[in-house]
Amino acid sequence: MADTNWMDGWLNSQQNYWTAWADMAQRGMKTPEAPKNPLADGLNQWWKTMSPMTPPVGREVFDKLMDVSSGYFSLVERFMNGAQQQNGPEAALNGWLDGMQKMWGEWMQGGAARSFTEAGQQFKGMTTFWDLPMDTWQRLAANVMPMPGDFTQAFHPEGGMQQQVNRFLSIPAVGYHREAQEQYQILAQRQMDYAAATQAYQTAFGKLGMATTQNFQQALKDRTKEGKPITSLRELYDQWVEMSEAAYADFVMTEEYQTLYGRLVNSLLALKQQMARMVDQTLEAMHMPTHAEINTLQCRQQELRRENLRLRKDMKAMQAQIEALRQAMLKPAAVAEKPAAAKPVAAKPAAPKPAAPAAKKPAAATKKPAAK
Amino acid sequence: MLPFDMRPDAVMQELSAYGQKLSHGMKNLMEVGEISSGVTPKTVVYREDKLTLFRFENPNKGAVPNKTPLLIVYALVNRPYMTDLQENRSTVKALMDAGQDVYLVDWGYPDRADRTLTLDDYLNGYLDRCVEVICERHRVDKINLLGICQGGAFSLCYASMHPDKVKNLVTMVTPVDFQTPDNMLSHWVQKIDVDLVVDTLGNVPGEMLNWTFLNLKPYQLMGQKYLGLLDTLDDPEALKNFLRMEKWIFDSPDQAGEAFRQFIKDFYQQNKLLNGGLVIGDTEVKLKNVTMPVLNVFAEQDHLVPPDSSRALRGKVGSKDYTELAFPGGHIGIYVSGKAQKTVPPAIGKWLDERS
Repeated sequence: MADTNWMDGWLNSQQNYWTAWADMAQRGMKTPEAPKNPLADGLNQWWKTMSPMTPPVGREVFDKLMDVSSGYFSLVERFMNGAQQQNGPEAALNGWLDGMQKMWGEWMQGGAARSFTEAGQQFKGMTTFWDLPMDTWQRLAANVMPMPGDFTQAFHPEGGMQQQVNRFLSIPAVGYHREAQEQYQILAQRQMDYAAATQAYQTAFGKLGMATTQNFQQALKDRTKEGKPITSLRELYDQWVEMSEAAYADFVMTEEYQTLYGRLVNSLLALKQQMARMVDQTLEAMHMPTHAEINTLQCRQQELRRENLRLRKDMKAMQAQIEALRQAMLKPAAVAEKPAAAKPVAAKPAAPKPAAPAAKKPAAATKKPAAK
Repeated sequence: MLPFDMRPDAVMQELSAYGQKLSHGMKNLMEVGEISSGVTPKTVVYREDKLTLFRFENPNKGAVPNKTPLLIVYALVNRPYMTDLQENRSTVKALMDAGQDVYLVDWGYPDRADRTLTLDDYLNGYLDRCVEVICERHRVDKINLLGICQGGAFSLCYASMHPDKVKNLVTMVTPVDFQTPDNMLSHWVQKIDVDLVVDTLGNVPGEMLNWTFLNLKPYQLMGQKYLGLLDTLDDPEALKNFLRMEKWIFDSPDQAGEAFRQFIKDFYQQNKLLNGGLVIGDTEVKLKNVTMPVLNVFAEQDHLVPPDSSRALRGKVGSKDYTELAFPGGHIGIYVSGKAQKTVPPAIGKWLDERS
């Protein structure tokens, strides 16, 4: 079967790669110049081939597993390659951590653009891991925007685009199209606000990455002192996650993060609101129902439903009251009738009171003989 | 001593094992089939708009349940089948085994036409009508109420506004103090312009809530968790369990805009449930009006609703019969873990029976 062959092929190539690597490591040889992340790249290639064959159930989970695996392999490969090329494990570790610091520095400078130098590129696979909050945010932003994808990524508050937008914003709105021009200027301003908020958020994560790297370094020193060295790649990864989660938990409870987060969400929605307003204007010009009109209708309809439900409830309560009153009115009659039945002596004076039943009985009595 | 003690051949072995697990996991994935959830048989007893009221069928034929029916009020966030996830992880089934006659409110998936639904519509409208339906069916004046998470906060509000209709109240992992210092969600939401969110989006997308919840522990929930999956990939049953949980986590209904607006503003930003001043419809919600017996169940390692947030209920309700039950686990574990199944529902059942 094709799928089994693919799996076996990938496993074999992986096995060969690591056998060769281990062989060289045991002989104390340095690895030749190789692709940056061969294992992670191989995995990605394998998944690209396999994913169309997988059933829809669970595909998303496997997609995520592959993303995470890719980041994991990048971490491992950078670390192991570093260990091969440096003089001794400690130097390798320091080299690896320096590389990480460098990548974070470039991350903060590059912001949304993320243009890494070659040194930073080597660690870029690692950002798959740090991208998690930002990546999911961008997917969310894309979902709430009327345009496909998160097109806002194309805008950066610094650089050529900013200058162009500033020029556009500085043009005074006058004349026949003044209102339309103002709307576009508001849109452009909000676009830039959102781009700035995104970059600030991302820069903060760069700082967090640097702090995590330092914490990681400290944690390794502590483990060394305690005589608990890291013995497997998975342990290395878990230690990294633990450090990242701890640094993150501290950071997101600060006032700084609260402000960054608020700004990110609010600026995205302000942008979307302006877009919706402009779409409505277009719809209105085309004599089509606008979003605002539908909202008004929905509000009115809901008010009517509430009123309807209130009336039904009131009516039900009134029916219950009427029933209670009816029962109360019947009660004295029943009460009066009971003593009459209970006391045969008093039967005579009581007889005229239940007039209606008395009137019915003779009728029934007349029917019976007729039937016979 | 060096910080690392990794032999190349061991590293090779580890990576090779990783690849094999992935490969075998792929084979299991191909054969996994449909993922079922909501396993206990149930019947629909009432429907209104998107809401469905279910009654679960007791598998213990001939058993005489508590004569006061129990209504589970789930949150608007996520889906209520979490309480009945699978045969051996079902709070509902365990409650029935503990002698309760169980009903459940399923709020459904609101769409844009539902964006104007308020908390008043949900509590004094939908929920109240469900309670009336159950009361009529059983010819009782009061029922037992069990609120979960946000549904617990709703149950507290309902019990305060309609104390004559609630015999006993059980709150599970329910936030009461929305501003404890360890409440991450609350911290994040303080500077969000909720009016802007609701006015712009109408309903609040489930994806937005997912993003928020996953960001509580992003590296564990979006990364490490999936590597952990590798260790169970070769077990088809474990893989199914994982996928079932994944399905639930990402099955997030949109939130009706107006209800979301009031919930975030009054509960999270102004903490009115605890501090007072919360008005739903025309009624002020006062915890002192909660005069029926209360059982407050919380999870000690809850990262969504910190235990202190639930414990804040102590001394705030008007009831003299107040009990707490702490479970050593997390927000989800309290419904699905084996330990929870054995301890929490039986304790709830016993507590209810003693008060019937």
